[in-house]
Amino acid sequence: MTKVANAQPRPRFVPGQPDMWAFVLFEALVFTGYFIVYIIRRTQSPDLFLQSQAHLDLRVGVFNTLVLLASSWSVARCVQAARERSFRAALTNAFLTMLFGFLFLVSKVLEWATEIEEGFGFTTNEFFSFYYFLTAIHFLHLLIGFVVLAIGIYQLWSPARRSQEMIETCATYWHTIDFLWVLIFALLYVMR
Amino acid sequence: MSASATGALPEEPPGSLLHRIAWHWRYDPKRELWIAWWTMLVFYQLFGLLFFVVTRTQPPPQPWWEPTRVAQWFDDHHYGLLIGFAFVFIISGMTALMNALIAYSMRRMSVSRAFAYSYLVIYALSTLPGMLLLGIALTVGAMRPDRDPELIRWIYDFAFMTFDGTMGVFLVGSLVWMVAILLDENRVLPKWFAYLSLCNALTEVVVAPAWIFKSGVFAWNGAISYWLNVGVFVTYTTVFLTLLRRMILREDFGTGPLPDLSTDEAPEPSGSVRAAG
Repeated sequence: MTKVANAQPRPRFVPGQPDMWAFVLFEALVFTGYFIVYIIRRTQSPDLFLQSQAHLDLRVGVFNTLVLLASSWSVARCVQAARERSFRAALTNAFLTMLFGFLFLVSKVLEWATEIEEGFGFTTNEFFSFYYFLTAIHFLHLLIGFVVLAIGIYQLWSPARRSQEMIETCATYWHTIDFLWVLIFALLYVMR
Repeated sequence: MSASATGALPEEPPGSLLHRIAWHWRYDPKRELWIAWWTMLVFYQLFGLLFFVVTRTQPPPQPWWEPTRVAQWFDDHHYGLLIGFAFVFIISGMTALMNALIAYSMRRMSVSRAFAYSYLVIYALSTLPGMLLLGIALTVGAMRPDRDPELIRWIYDFAFMTFDGTMGVFLVGSLVWMVAILLDENRVLPKWFAYLSLCNALTEVVVAPAWIFKSGVFAWNGAISYWLNVGVFVTYTTVFLTLLRRMILREDFGTGPLPDLSTDEAPEPSGSVRAAG
């Protein structure tokens, strides 16, 4: 198949594909919608939300946050190493990111199991509906993040590929997951 | 190469709008694509009008109503439901052309035909929960007002659950389109639209709690399960209508990358593009 000769390379304003930044914007808007609805409902039943929030273990939330921040740190190191053409180090950091992501998943599932065991389910009250909804939709984003990381690893694996733009695009997605979690953590665990 | 094979349009003669439409009908090599696109545009306008204004089934009524209140709702909406859904059944055939245009966009990409075929199969199925089951169920309710109100409420639940609670079936179609765009090297649609498709697919997941909740933000008419989802879907639909129009304008009926549009929206010369694939 004949291809059209590529036009002049576009000047780079952001790391990775600019298209992925559009996704960051879309997702930020959608989650802003969720957060606004949450805050409105919270202001309508402040006592219920405060009492329910007390049943969450802040330490678990902090642990989740630290693990995801560590994963963001390792994915940033992965990008940096790939820029320096140190692909072995980049791969190590990509796998480390996966490990942190997996730790987050396990701790989140254990937290859900504990809450359900204590009698706090999805339909217990509005706070817990939001708690399960927001953490589950974030969980789903994280699962997609594993696919995205796998694409990054696939890129790094062979000298025939190694597209720096693709690696940065994957890292941008991963940072978005971290960014969204920090907001969810603040709203569900910290905000009083 | 003939005009119809290259997409190069002979010069349009001056004249009235009707005259120009007739000319395009006869000579435009993109005639079928434009018919599909206009069908899509008209369908969505009619869809909004019929569901929001004529039948008044959107936004959906309350999920927690008692049987007598539901029966009252059917009584209040009797003629709107019958007339509105009669038109819905008539226009439902338009979805075939719409799906064909989206499948065409995937056939124009440098990806396997399996994507287009998968999309067609999934969306042919999605028309059922996406509009027909709601229409059939509510028409049954409107046509049989003498039935037990409990049965009428069951029909009401069935109708709105299938319509508002099954948006997940569209999720797979969005993902098929997304993967095709991401793998495509012909630049048929921009990559950011693939990510918007992912965003749309993810918001369709959040409709699922509507099966559990009868009130609040997660109910079938709730702020999250309904309104946010509708907002994203309307944005998504507007964007793909615009992008499909651009795709048709850029179409050169070749097999390589689609040429860019020049500022006056005419395809740039694309001789090299049409080399055999």
